Amino acid sequence: MDCNFSPEEQQFRAQCRDWLYANVPSEKRPLNAIEAIDFDKAWQRRLFDAGWAGINWPAEYGGRGLSIVQQVIWLEEYAHAHAPWIGANFVGINHGGPTLILNASEEQKAWHLPRILKGEAIWCQGFSEPGAGSDLAGIKTHARVDGDELVINGSKIWTSFAHVADWQELVVRTEEGSQRHKGLSWVICDMHAPGITVRPIAKMSGQVEFAQVFYDDVRIPLANVVGGLGNGWKVAMSTLSFERGTGFIADQVKQSQEVSELIERARATGMIRDDRIAEQLAQMRAEVAALQAMTYRNISEVARTGQPGAEASVIRLFSAELGQRIERMAVLLLGEAMLDFRYGDDNAVADYLRGFAATIAGGSSQIQRDIIGERLLGLPKSR
Amino acid sequence: MDLTPNADQEAFVTATADWCRDNMPLENARERSPDLWTQMREMGWLGMTHTDLGLDHATEALVFAELGRHLAPIGALSTAVARRWTGTERRVGLVIPAADTVRILDGTGASLALGLRDGDAFTCALPAELASAASLDPSATLARLASTPALTPLGEPRAALHLQLLAAAYAVGCADAARDMASDYAKMRQQFDRPIGWFQAIKHLCADMAVRAAVARSQLYFAACALDAGGADAAFHIAAAKHLADQAAVENSRANVQIHGAIGITDEAYPHFCLKRAHLLTFVAPASRQILLDDAA
Ligand SMILES: Cc1cc2nc3c(=O)[nH]c(=O)nc-3n(C[C@H](O)[C@H](O)[C@H](O)COP(=O)(O)OP(=O)(O)OC[C@H]3O[C@@H](n4cnc5c(N)ncnc54)[C@H](O)[C@@H]3O)c2cc1C
Repeated sequence: MDCNFSPEEQQFRAQCRDWLYANVPSEKRPLNAIEAIDFDKAWQRRLFDAGWAGINWPAEYGGRGLSIVQQVIWLEEYAHAHAPWIGANFVGINHGGPTLILNASEEQKAWHLPRILKGEAIWCQGFSEPGAGSDLAGIKTHARVDGDELVINGSKIWTSFAHVADWQELVVRTEEGSQRHKGLSWVICDMHAPGITVRPIAKMSGQVEFAQVFYDDVRIPLANVVGGLGNGWKVAMSTLSFERGTGFIADQVKQSQEVSELIERARATGMIRDDRIAEQLAQMRAEVAALQAMTYRNISEVARTGQPGAEASVIRLFSAELGQRIERMAVLLLGEAMLDFRYGDDNAVADYLRGFAATIAGGSSQIQRDIIGERLLGLPKSR
Repeated sequence: MDLTPNADQEAFVTATADWCRDNMPLENARERSPDLWTQMREMGWLGMTHTDLGLDHATEALVFAELGRHLAPIGALSTAVARRWTGTERRVGLVIPAADTVRILDGTGASLALGLRDGDAFTCALPAELASAASLDPSATLARLASTPALTPLGEPRAALHLQLLAAAYAVGCADAARDMASDYAKMRQQFDRPIGWFQAIKHLCADMAVRAAVARSQLYFAACALDAGGADAAFHIAAAKHLADQAAVENSRANVQIHGAIGITDEAYPHFCLKRAHLLTFVAPASRQILLDDAA
């Protein structure tokens, strides 16, 4: 066990840092998906051209084929350099792409992966429905096979970036009358296909980033099914476990920076003399250190065995709740200035309001606790 | 960078866990065999910290977490740290200084005790006739000294960090023990025709115990490696580890009592062993809030 990076890794870190300091754009990323889309695409293209997109993706699909440790180093430096969030590219880079790498045919991979890495194809994730949130197996959106096409009807909701996306990882019921996890398929859906309507939804932070999507006799080639007809649940789970594993490293570094800034601010304003505030800040300082240690442990496990450890959902839960405590402390330190918030502001209040999503999206904290209790501790399944 | 135990370390952990299960079960914490200290010395745990053995702090942390899980004697901490920094092979008591008095834990049979004052490690000589009695923790004896003995500083800042690290490892083990006791009970105890662990209110308490234990253990590993690496950030990381490990041990022990229901608050059941050990550990090399706030690591 050791916490030292090898000389090659340190050299790699220096390369990341040098490039980022010279290239991180000085203008801020716009808040709403529609206004941000050109920014997101241009920044992703720059990352790709300089060799920083898909660091641990296979080289034959445009990645660098480097190790997961190098990917982590990149993400750490990325956050240290205050580089912009990858925004609309998030789903393709963190969900769609990795799922294709694990499950798709050679043809599908060769077509889609390089486009994702270059920022040419924006992806969204169509899993949740009005009637199927935590209980994802309750999916009702269905597709009937008609010749060499699927004909899709139904609706998805909370689909991040749906209104700017070109492609969607869409899970639909392809077997009529099938129940729960059976009879689902994971399909690459063309978001420009006729019959698709996207209705954007505003959040309480004022941001318009997700949407409801309606499918009215949408025709998608059967060749767009990934992992075989009826195997959608298995394919979808490979994405979710990825999200629970290594998808949030840059956020974690940001949390650590935020705690340091909060301590500085509490000192500058004298609020640190409030014992409760000092205690909470000290607690958060210890927790962000532990979160990094826990992530390193998980990465070490991946490097050793190729699989994230069983504790990935522990990281996900702890990180989400820690993030919310940090955001809440930030608005506490703001005092009455919190009241000045208006839609369009991108500040601590916006972070606080946005942060509620962290314990809901991608499996709520309640669901994560079920998973930890059942899979890690072996308690009886309640669902 | 690799925060998973290597093959040698795994072997140490397995050997320690096996021995503890057979010879030092948690359930016997208040009536340990009179030979226990001799056996522990023979097994090498009290002396594994000596530089001659060439073992790193990461290995120590792993082994002491296993010892802590079985509520090994608290005096093993001071004995192991004294072995490293004073060279003594003797048994060494643990000092908890307070404003008005000095408390000696596991001082029976020791002529020397080790502790921290203002973050620095010191030793002090113990009177030949130490009047030891019971303490909160049923596995530890306690003596209070009327007059403050002469304290001899060790003059080595790493000694204090070493004690804090091993105490954090004990607390991580204690947090694990409480988590496992709770989830084992939740699988076995039936109410409303099903195991109580089926109910989310219980399951989620157990999940939170697993989170606290995993968080503390991860930071313990990083802290041990930081001490091995000898960087200036070791003091911060060890303080963070101790802070989180104490919290995990106390909170997990408390939840474990609740999950057991009435049997959980009895003298005959074991949850209070973890609870009392956890509280004791919060007084052993406590983490400084100032270090946590100051160090940007
Ligand atoms: C910002 C954001 C972005 C999102 N982006 C996407 C996206 O791009 N694509 C996509 O498909 N989805 C997306 N989602 C949807 C997300 O996956 C769902 O919100 C999530 O799965 C929860 O479902 P729900 O909102 O329907 O809540 P519900 O499932 O209705 O849950 C409501 C409450 O009940 C609790 N609950 C539910 N079941 C249980 C149970 N068994 N035991 C205990 N408590 C329970 C939940 O924890 C929650 O507190 C996004 C959500 C957010 C907030």
